[in-house]
Amino acid sequence: MDLFISMFAATIIAATPLIFAALGELVVEKSGVLNLGIEGMMLVGAAFGVWAHFAGLPMIVALAAAVLAGAAASLLFGVLALTFMTNQYAAGLALAIFGTGVSAFIGRGFGSTPVDAIQPIHLPGLSDIPVIGAMFFQYDPLVYFSFVMFGAVSWFLYRTKAGLALRAIGESPDSAHAIGFEVIKIRYLAVMFGGAMAGLGGAYLSLVYTPLWVENMTAGRGWIALALVVFAAWRPKRVILGAWLFGGMTILQLQGQAIGLKVPSELLSALPYLATIAVLVLISRNRQAMALDFPVSLAQPFRPKG
Amino acid sequence: MKRATRRDILKYGASAGLAAGLAGLPAISRASETLKVGAVYVSPVSDIGWTKQHSLGVEAIKAEFGENVEITVIDNIFRPQDAERVFRELAGSGNDLIFGTSFSHGTPMQKVAPRFPETVFEHCSGIKHLKNLGTFEAKYFEGTYVAGVAAGHVSKSAKIGFIGGFPIPDIVGPANALLRGAQSVNPDITCNVIFLNSWFDPGKEKEAAKTLIAQGCDVICSMTDTATGVQVAGESGAWSVGYASDMAAFGHGKHLTAFTLNWAPVYVQAAKDVANGTWNSTERWLGLADDVVQMSPYNADLPAEAIEAAENARAEIASGGLHPFAGELRDQGGAMRVEAGQVLPVAGIRGINWFVEGMIGRLG
Repeated sequence: MDLFISMFAATIIAATPLIFAALGELVVEKSGVLNLGIEGMMLVGAAFGVWAHFAGLPMIVALAAAVLAGAAASLLFGVLALTFMTNQYAAGLALAIFGTGVSAFIGRGFGSTPVDAIQPIHLPGLSDIPVIGAMFFQYDPLVYFSFVMFGAVSWFLYRTKAGLALRAIGESPDSAHAIGFEVIKIRYLAVMFGGAMAGLGGAYLSLVYTPLWVENMTAGRGWIALALVVFAAWRPKRVILGAWLFGGMTILQLQGQAIGLKVPSELLSALPYLATIAVLVLISRNRQAMALDFPVSLAQPFRPKG
Repeated sequence: MKRATRRDILKYGASAGLAAGLAGLPAISRASETLKVGAVYVSPVSDIGWTKQHSLGVEAIKAEFGENVEITVIDNIFRPQDAERVFRELAGSGNDLIFGTSFSHGTPMQKVAPRFPETVFEHCSGIKHLKNLGTFEAKYFEGTYVAGVAAGHVSKSAKIGFIGGFPIPDIVGPANALLRGAQSVNPDITCNVIFLNSWFDPGKEKEAAKTLIAQGCDVICSMTDTATGVQVAGESGAWSVGYASDMAAFGHGKHLTAFTLNWAPVYVQAAKDVANGTWNSTERWLGLADDVVQMSPYNADLPAEAIEAAENARAEIASGGLHPFAGELRDQGGAMRVEAGQVLPVAGIRGINWFVEGMIGRLG
C-alpha cells in the first residue's frame, strides 16, 4: 500500500512539468500555430529560474522570471513565424536549439550549488488524513497550480468568447479575419502564453522537482509535451491523462528494474513510449472524433487578404 | 566556416611537405619550443562532474609548464562525426599532444591519428591504441569498493541501491564492487540496481533514487553525470556516494564519500613525455595506487570504525593486498566465476557483463 501511494504521488509530480508545457502548447496549437521549440523554452525557464534564485530573489519572483523568460523566448519564434511568416517547423526547431544554448550560457557556474527547493505545503487537517492525505494533499504549491491552470485553460477555450475566437482562428483564420478578429495579435498572445507555460514547466524542474541546475536538464520533456498534445487530440483533459500515463509508466519501469524483473533495462526504459503509442493507436481508431478538435490551419502562416 | 581556396591548398600542401621533411629530425628539438596541447571535452566545463575533472587535468599541465605551453580546449563535442573534424583541425594546427575525453571520441581519433604521425593522441576511456594513440582509464571499481565498505557499516536495512547511466562494463563493474565492499562488512547485504539508459536526466534519476529508497535501500550510489541521486538520497534521509567530483554540498549531510577522478598525473606525465621526446603509446589503467581514483573526505558523522575500515581497504587495494574481484566469487545465479585464491583477470573486469551474487537487477 505504501509503495502504491508513493508511486501514485511520484506520478503526479513527474507529470507536472509535462502538464504545464503541454497545456501551453495546446493553446498555441489551438490558435493554428505549431511551436516546436518547447524544449528550448523550458530550458530557458529552468535556467532563468535558477539564475533569479541565486541572485537572492524570493522563490515567487524566480518563478515569475522563468515565466517571463519563457514568454520572451517564444517571442523570438513569434516574430519569425507570425510577422515574417517563415516556416513554423523551422522556426520552432531553431528556438529549441537556441534555447538549449542560451540556457547553458545562463546556467554557467550554477552547477555546483543545490537550490533550496520549494517545499510541499502542509494543509492542516487534509494532509493528515491517512492514505488520502498522502495521495492528494502533500504536494508543493505548483502541483495544485497545474490543476488550476488545467481548469483555466479548459474554461477559457470552451466557455469564453475569447476562447471561441482563438479556436475560430485555428480553424479558419481567413473567416476570423473577415469578421474582424486580429489574427496575428491573438496568435502572438497564444504563442507567448505557450512560452510562459513552458518556462514555468522548466522552472518546476530546476526549482522544485530536481532542485539543481544541470545543462540540458529537461532531457527531452519538451518533446514529450509536444507529443502529448497530439496524443490528447487537442483536448485539455486528455493532456492530463497522457501526462499521468507517461509519468506513471516511467515510474513503473524503474520500480520493475529495482525489484529485479527479468526484463532487460533497455526494454523497460522504452516502456513509457510503447505504452503511450499503444494508447494513441487505441484512441485514434475513431477518425471522426479525432478530427473534431484538430485545428485545421495548424502550422500554416496567415496572410491577410485585402 | 572558411572555404578552402586553391591558395590554401597550396599553402597547406607546402607546409605538410615541410612537416614531412622535418619529421626525420630528432624529437629533442621540441624541448626548447612551446608545447602545444589540445583537449576535446564531451560537455561544457560545468562545476562538477566528468568534464570538470578533465579540465583540472589540463589546468595541471598549465601549472606545470607555465609560459611554455599553449593550450586549446574545444568543448561540447560528443558525436563522433563532429569529433573527427575537431581532432583533424587540432592536429592540423600543430598541436603536439591532443586529448580525447570520451569513449565516443575513439573512432574519430583512430581515424585521424594515423594521418598525423608526429602528433601524440591520448584517449581517455579508449580501448584501442595505435603507435601515436595512447589510452588511459580509471579503475572506478576500486573507488566503489572502498565506498561500499563505508556503506556496509552504515546500512541498517542491509540493502543498498545503485543507479547507473548505462549497463556497460565500466558501470557494471563498479556496481559489483560496491556490493563486494559492503558484503566484506556484512555478507547479507544486497544491492538493487537501476539503469537510466541516459547520462543526463535528473528527473528520471530522482525517480530512480526514490524508487530504490522505497524498496528499503538506505545507501544510494549514483554513477551518472549529475548530483541528483546524492541530493534525493539526502532529502529522504538516506546515505549517498558521489561520483567523479565531491558532491557533499548536495548530500544534506548524508554524503558518505565520493570516488573522485584525478586525471592530473596522467595529463602532466603525457605532456612531460611529449616535451622530452620520450612518449610511448601505452595502455594505462589507473586506480587508487596511482591517485587517479581518490576518495573524497568521509562524512564526519560516520562511526570511526567505518572510516578506519574504508581507509584500510583503500590502503590494501593500493598496495595490491586486496582485490575487489578476488575469489571466491559467484554470480547472480550462484555459479562460481572465480575460484578461491584467484582474481578476476583484467580482460574479465574490463568486459564484465554479469552481476555478482546479491545484486538485484537484470542485465541484457
